[in-house]
Amino acid sequence: MAFEANKTPDISSESEPTGRIFSRIFDFFNFGRKFGNQRSNQDVEKEEIQYPSPLCLSSSYYSVFVVRLAIMVMLAILIGLLTLLTWHFTRVYTARSLNTLAYELRHELLQRPILRMWNILNSTVEVATSHVKLSEYVIRRYSKPVNQAQQVELYDVMRDVTWALFASRRALNSITISYKNGFVQAFHRNHKSNNTYYIYSDLANYSISGLYGVNMLSSHQGWNDQSIHNNMSAIWYREPLDPVSGEKIGKPKKIPPDELINIAGISQVPDGTASWHVAVSKYTDSPLLSAALPVWDPSHESIVAVVGVTTALYSVGQLMKELVEVHSGHIYLTSQEGWLLATSTNTPLLMNSTTGPKLMMAADSADNVIRSGSECLQKTYGSKFPSSQEVHIENARLGNQLYYIDSFFLNLKRLPMVGVIIIPRKYIMGKVDEKAFKTLMILISASLCIIVVGCICVFILTNGVSKEMKLRAELISHLDARRKAEASSNYKSQFLANMSHELRTPMAAVIGLLDILISDDCLTNEQYAMITQIRKCSSTLLRLLNNILDLSKVESGKLVLEETEFDLGRELEGLIDMFSVQCINHNVETVLDLSDDMPKLVRGDSGRVLQIFANLINNSIKFTTSGYVILRGWCENLDADSNARKLSTNQMDSWWAQKMKLKRQGWHGKRSSKKDNKIILWFEVDDTGCGIDPSKWESVFESFEQADPSTTRLHGGTGLGLCIVRTLVNKMNGEIKVVKKSGPGTLMQLYLLLNTPAESTKQQYLSNLEQQNLTVLLALNGRMTRMIMSQWLRKKGVNTYEASDWNQLTQNLQELFKVQGLTQNSLSKPEEPNLESSIASVLIIIIDIGLLDSSTDMWKQQLDVLQAYFGLVKFAWVLNHDISKTIKTELRSRGHLLMVNRPLYKAKMIQILEAVIRDRNFQLQNNVNGLPTTVVERQHHECLEIDAIHTTSVSSDDSDKSEKVSYNPISALRDAEKSSEHFSEALYLQRVIRSNSSSSDLTRANLEEDASDMDGLGQRRIEEQLWTRSFPEDQASTHSYKLVNERKSLEGLRILLAEDTPVLQRVATIMLEKMGAKVVVVGDGIQAVDALKYTSHSNEYRKESLLIDGNLRTTQTEALPYDLVLMDCQMPKMDGYEATRAIRKSELETGLHIPIVALTAHAMSSDEAKCLEVGMDAYLTKPIDCKRMVTTILSLTKRIV
Amino acid sequence: MEIVGQLQKQYVDFINSLFREGYLDDQYVQLQKLQDDSNPEFVVEVVSIFFEDSEKLLNDLASSLQQQVVDFKKVDGYVHQFKGSSSSVGAQRVKNACVAFRNFCDEKNLDGCSRFLNLVKQEFYLVKNKLETLLRLEQQILQAGGTVPLIE
Repeated sequence: MAFEANKTPDISSESEPTGRIFSRIFDFFNFGRKFGNQRSNQDVEKEEIQYPSPLCLSSSYYSVFVVRLAIMVMLAILIGLLTLLTWHFTRVYTARSLNTLAYELRHELLQRPILRMWNILNSTVEVATSHVKLSEYVIRRYSKPVNQAQQVELYDVMRDVTWALFASRRALNSITISYKNGFVQAFHRNHKSNNTYYIYSDLANYSISGLYGVNMLSSHQGWNDQSIHNNMSAIWYREPLDPVSGEKIGKPKKIPPDELINIAGISQVPDGTASWHVAVSKYTDSPLLSAALPVWDPSHESIVAVVGVTTALYSVGQLMKELVEVHSGHIYLTSQEGWLLATSTNTPLLMNSTTGPKLMMAADSADNVIRSGSECLQKTYGSKFPSSQEVHIENARLGNQLYYIDSFFLNLKRLPMVGVIIIPRKYIMGKVDEKAFKTLMILISASLCIIVVGCICVFILTNGVSKEMKLRAELISHLDARRKAEASSNYKSQFLANMSHELRTPMAAVIGLLDILISDDCLTNEQYAMITQIRKCSSTLLRLLNNILDLSKVESGKLVLEETEFDLGRELEGLIDMFSVQCINHNVETVLDLSDDMPKLVRGDSGRVLQIFANLINNSIKFTTSGYVILRGWCENLDADSNARKLSTNQMDSWWAQKMKLKRQGWHGKRSSKKDNKIILWFEVDDTGCGIDPSKWESVFESFEQADPSTTRLHGGTGLGLCIVRTLVNKMNGEIKVVKKSGPGTLMQLYLLLNTPAESTKQQYLSNLEQQNLTVLLALNGRMTRMIMSQWLRKKGVNTYEASDWNQLTQNLQELFKVQGLTQNSLSKPEEPNLESSIASVLIIIIDIGLLDSSTDMWKQQLDVLQAYFGLVKFAWVLNHDISKTIKTELRSRGHLLMVNRPLYKAKMIQILEAVIRDRNFQLQNNVNGLPTTVVERQHHECLEIDAIHTTSVSSDDSDKSEKVSYNPISALRDAEKSSEHFSEALYLQRVIRSNSSSSDLTRANLEEDASDMDGLGQRRIEEQLWTRSFPEDQASTHSYKLVNERKSLEGLRILLAEDTPVLQRVATIMLEKMGAKVVVVGDGIQAVDALKYTSHSNEYRKESLLIDGNLRTTQTEALPYDLVLMDCQMPKMDGYEATRAIRKSELETGLHIPIVALTAHAMSSDEAKCLEVGMDAYLTKPIDCKRMVTTILSLTKRIV
Repeated sequence: MEIVGQLQKQYVDFINSLFREGYLDDQYVQLQKLQDDSNPEFVVEVVSIFFEDSEKLLNDLASSLQQQVVDFKKVDGYVHQFKGSSSSVGAQRVKNACVAFRNFCDEKNLDGCSRFLNLVKQEFYLVKNKLETLLRLEQQILQAGGTVPLIE
């Protein structure tokens, strides 16, 4: 089909952009491949250089870029194709259906004129045929005209017949009859002028004979056109007729022969059949179709006449015009040779030439469209017009417009014709093209929009991806950074591990040197006191140092709290004592106010608890310039059960308490299995400092946070203190917060959840104070201390008076003695009469040394005033640390021997009261015995300097040594330290006594008496220990013990040393041997285990034999081959940890426990934990510190020594 | 007497320089204190044990570092032992080198270990040299009839 043929250029034109797209895609693939290559190159580089991230990133950026581009391009192609296809299909189907329709239309259009043409031809033929028949008939009737008349008649008949035919056919142009003799009859109708003429030739010139006598063949030659045209002699007449009736309406006129119409002659029917041709006439401007038929004579032998019928094609043209006008197209008909027959236009179809009008070719037509159309056909098909075929040309460009050109071949017999129809494309496809164009535009714009949106989407999506990649890259770098940070923190802990040793060593040196200094004899008392204080402070510093080093542990949550029993009250008293020294220079009172229901012993980590309070009090003191710092404590018991018990213990006798104590000592070993009571201890640290802004109450507990930025400048500090405090408090299941308080300053409140031993006793204060009939005059200048003390004493049923300065004191004294004066007549004779009353009431004056005016010499006079009451009242002095020596000696010389150091708290108060009561009892007893008390004796009884240090040592010594041995191994070390402290304190006491050396002998004597006399008294125990301190022999023994410590303190000990390093082996051996120990050295863990195993087996036998005694303990001690093992942790074959485990395992069978001390080069506490975990008792770091080793060994082997 | 005094001065200067330059630390003084009539040759004994032990350790170390597959745990053990013995004698610089050495053992850094092995060796031979000189001086003093001055 032509349609398909037409489609090919379409496809080719489409395939061009498609090809371009493909090439582009190809380009992109190349592009991608290029990048891929690059990337793989980069990968190689990456592996080579080991700096992967940036290159990897950039390559990934490229790949993202490429992917993004590829996706966009694909999208564009897809949408483009979709658009094209949509457009194509919509267009193709409409175009095809329209084309079909158009084709039908064109066909139809052409059909009609052809039909008309056919009609015309038919009618022409019909007329001609009928005319011929009629003529034959007429001629036959007049076959033999004999005369002119007959001839004329014939012609008349013929004329009538012809007219009838002519009139019946309006479309006929002319009918002619030319006779054999040359006579011509013709009717002619001029359509233009609407005139009808009858044309005939002059009859006169024709002979009838001429008509007849015909030799058929010869006459044949005679019959030619020339006979008509050249018959110049013939005269032509034209007679106008009425077109309707055929009546003559005018005279016949002679016309020249050249005005003749075409008359069909014999020449046109040469073979006796009908002939057709197209003629022109000068009367019409359109071609004429003329047919000629011969009229045969009756015999059918010769032609007697020729009938010619001419029809104008004008009407066809009219019809075509009407048909095509609507479509603004053109139709034309041509003869086969190309002569134009009819057109739908008004342009002339004939060419005027000198020889008259002539037919013209279609290519010469005046109408542009027809001319170019025919030219186009000519061009396409050349002269070889495909006859009997239809030709269709679509989209032929004629001029500026596109046209459809269709030509149909019309094969009429003898007159083949070609019809050509030219219709502008616009008419048929105009709307479609327009619509298609619009659709295309819309599609293109829509697809562009989609592409843009898609690209944006792709961009956004890939952007997300690339963002993610970026994030991932960041993450990687963060991970890197974190790894680095972890590494550096590793270095930090390494640093700490190394530093901990470096920091502790100098402190140990300081402490050691202080110990040496303390044992020096040539120190004054004050120097001694100072050094003791330094010693205390440096141990605190060491403890703090350890705490700071453990801070990393606290922060990492690795801190493990100890669980040991300790006397909370005593520890806090020690703390307050220490801080009161700091407060001397400030005008600040440090007060300890613990309620009576506080348990005496609690279990927990004493170091950490003290650290909490040390930090808090330190803070308070730092910010308090005047006023007071109070540490309050009270108890909230969780157990109702233990509450009940507590009530009962309140009423218990002191002997019961003692029994309980013994019992507890016995149970110490199994302590871990006991159920503990939880108690909540509440504490408050209250100061009158600058206070904290309420908005900072929470944040002060953060690390490196201080309430005021200027704090560091003014007071120093790191801001870590409170952070550590909170961490520790939380660790002990407590909480700490700042509480609102009235007045200036800060009130910190905290509680701790601590365990108490199951059968803990509360602090046994004098329960019977009210029975003692005591009166206390508190002459203290510290307001808070005074208030708290007087409140407490009143609660206990003790009469209390207060005095804040010297004047009030004297006033009070005078008033008191006025009351007493009723029984005491005069001050001069106090002894005998007041005996009875003094039993009933004893007045104790607790007087602060600060009340004396020490700046001038007034204090002597003041003492003189007090001297008047001496003997009537008991004086207890509260001393300052910085009190001048002269005042002290003066006091002593005047017999004031009951002195305590600041600050005054309950424990000290109790001691004072006890001393007074005891003294009174002693006096009383003497009186009963009838022995007069001497001043000297009394003096010695009161030779007391109750000091914090004393009380500390008292309480730590108050249990016998076996108790200490049963302590937790961890505390053993601390105990050892403490015991060395005791030594120094003992020395101090020794000095005190030495200064009173004149009376020391008597003191001893008295003490011995006391020991026998005061048996059974409740306060016996404490008192005894107090006195033990000042007991010279005891002193001497402890002192000598200390000296032994230096030289041969390990005398008699058998020690197994497991150490692989020869150097250490040697050094440790020599060290130990120097101390008097016997050392056996083994090289590794296995040997150590073997050495112990062997002996423990041999022991069993011995043990059994001795079991009869029931004294298992002694047996075991004797049975053990070694008293102690020093175990290196890292050894070949079997390391220290393994060996210890093995030893402990084997011990399970025998029930023995040999102390094992670890030796290790690591200095971190985690190693310590490991050592203790495997069952070692203590821990020494390398290089071995001789002193430390000895104290450790002694603390572990004390039960044996 | 003149000679003794001179030797003693030389000895004191030398040992002070050793302390100042950090070759020795307090532990050496401790050793000296442990030496008395019952153990007159104690320092010499310990130091020579140290030398022997260290040479052995260094050889072990060198051979374990030359293994195809280096057992860093083993190397660490040796270094630890070396650290213990050197710190017991008071050879501070050797000890410090050992501390750093162990870090590389923890990291399993063979290069670092080899480097530090050389460093430790170097430090060891240095201190060995110094100690030998010191002990020779002591001997000379004793031979000259003087007493070795005590260093505090």
